[in-house]
Amino acid sequence: MTRSQLPEWARRALRRNEAWTFAILVVLVAYFSISAPGKFFTVYDITQIAVNAAIYLVLGVGMTYVIITAGIDLSIGSVLVLAAVAAGEYTIHHGAAGAGWFTVAVSIVIALAVGAAWGALQGALVATGKIPALIVTLGGLGAALGLAEIATGGQDPSGAAATHLQNSLGYGKVLGIPWLVVLAAVVTVVFGLLLGGTRFGVHTFAIGSNPAAARRAGIPVGRHLVKVYALMGLLAGLGAVMWLASYGTTSIAGHSTDNLKVITAVVLGGTSLFGGRGSVLGTVIGVFIPAVLTTGLIVVGVQQYWQDVAVGAVLVGAVYLDQIRKQTRERT
Amino acid sequence: MGTTARDNTRALLALGAAAALALTLSSCSSGSGSSGGSGGAKNITLITGVKSDPFYITMTCAAQAEAKAKGVGFTADGSAQWDVSVQRPLIDSVAAAKPAGLLVSPVDTTALTPSLKQIQNAGTKIGLVDTSVTDPSIGITRISSDNVKGGQVAADALAKQMGEKGSVIVISVKPGVSTTDDRIKGFTQEMAKYPGISVIPTLYDNDLPATAASQIQSTLAAHPDLGGVFAGNTNTAQGIATGLKQAGKQGAVKVVAFDAEPDEVTALKANTIQVLVAQDPAAIGTQAVDQLVAAFDGKPVTASIGTTMVAITQQNMNDPAVSKYFYKAAC
Repeated sequence: MTRSQLPEWARRALRRNEAWTFAILVVLVAYFSISAPGKFFTVYDITQIAVNAAIYLVLGVGMTYVIITAGIDLSIGSVLVLAAVAAGEYTIHHGAAGAGWFTVAVSIVIALAVGAAWGALQGALVATGKIPALIVTLGGLGAALGLAEIATGGQDPSGAAATHLQNSLGYGKVLGIPWLVVLAAVVTVVFGLLLGGTRFGVHTFAIGSNPAAARRAGIPVGRHLVKVYALMGLLAGLGAVMWLASYGTTSIAGHSTDNLKVITAVVLGGTSLFGGRGSVLGTVIGVFIPAVLTTGLIVVGVQQYWQDVAVGAVLVGAVYLDQIRKQTRERT
Repeated sequence: MGTTARDNTRALLALGAAAALALTLSSCSSGSGSSGGSGGAKNITLITGVKSDPFYITMTCAAQAEAKAKGVGFTADGSAQWDVSVQRPLIDSVAAAKPAGLLVSPVDTTALTPSLKQIQNAGTKIGLVDTSVTDPSIGITRISSDNVKGGQVAADALAKQMGEKGSVIVISVKPGVSTTDDRIKGFTQEMAKYPGISVIPTLYDNDLPATAASQIQSTLAAHPDLGGVFAGNTNTAQGIATGLKQAGKQGAVKVVAFDAEPDEVTALKANTIQVLVAQDPAAIGTQAVDQLVAAFDGKPVTASIGTTMVAITQQNMNDPAVSKYFYKAAC
């Protein structure tokens, strides 16, 4: 069957960046399912992969926006910790583990506000055009973590998460699906549609493709960048809430590689580091490739270090394929 | 304690230490002589690895009490972080005070040797507590937990909790840390004595709770008979507890973790951890002071002492003989 015989939707699908990484994901799932029948790709296994991917997915959605504007945010892990510490400190002083629903609600708002405010500040600095996003967020990476350590003396405070929060968002399920997964899915759909179907999304792509042209077209580039980085911060704050809910502690030392994990996922998903191209759907696939590898390799019984090798190879391969296809497209 | 935070700037610091050595060698020749003399109040200074760590706080409290009982002066301080660059200025400031005895938990096995050598050459008796340095000429006594033994204690307690059957796995922080490697060695050796228990190869989570959570859940998928986990540190234990709870296996899969810090005791009460293997920081502190006082009096000194570890479970945690092993957040 030649390509022209394929229905229109299939041909369009093949041209999408995500088609190729999705194929890799399918191959991985098929391989592990065949190698470990009855152990991999069970309901239990899919659920646990999704739960473990949920927080990275939420962060990845924000990072997709940032990278589409040709920016980068290295600070997300630290912003997550800072937001978690702010929410945690409030909870500790308002009932700790036994805190009521009102405290839970306020602590969530605090986490979201801290994240969004930090993101907006970084966005404003990036928008001046005088400091590269890499440097702004590298500074943010250190400063946010430092503030969190000052507030706590460097030790994770106990009682940072209310039992109500843990038993609902952290471990609760609706129709058998963990709330963490439901929340991540809602965030993904909402911001996927926002990126693909609204003027906000169009402006995001335009700024990443050509900021000068975007400015000439009347797009308020600076203000839009502030919004995009604030969105990233907001989602890091949401990640902090999800973290507190599922782990019950701020894990100050446990987020130093979040940024690399998330950027890897976004790039695996076909979003261009040079800006202007990308999708939330791709990021979903990009988040699940490492998640499937982690679980699959343990289930099959292969030494876990192969995961780093495999993700690295897939990452470089995905970007290489993307470049080849881009060149072919430009030639025709 | 004192296990996870070996830092990777060691080479750089060693270089700095070498430079410092060159400086201090020229100045230390005049310092010896008077400080070993008789009579008067002797002074002991204790410098711990991390000031705010309950393990070290407990050690300090015990050492202080013992010093008071023996009639020697006592001062204590500790690094704000597990970092050579933070601890070295503290140690160097002790050199100026020239106490009769110094107890120290060095945060690096080599970088602090020149400073300690200088203090020792000036006549101060040095005891190494918890951690140590590789140079054997430093210190008259070294007192720390017997980590291989600790691993065995952990294995026996966990095997009992599991009913001596099923699979067990070790999830640790990273390979190449002497204390945790010893614990894993002791644990694996001891588990081999239980024919009904099979040990799955060790996983490392790089101190990331999220990784530990995913690893434990994947292990459950591959080994449905998983009955026990040995967690390398508190972060790892937290990740494992979350992973097990999400998988609905909390309590069914038994978790053993090291130390008995306040939040770990809380986790034990909440049944997210079933066994804690506590070190005995109080005994380390007490015996260290005893050894230094013996040295002051010219009595024989034991060069190396390994303190015991004890397994704490929900069943025995209220027994005063066991609960005394809980680490303290303050004296």
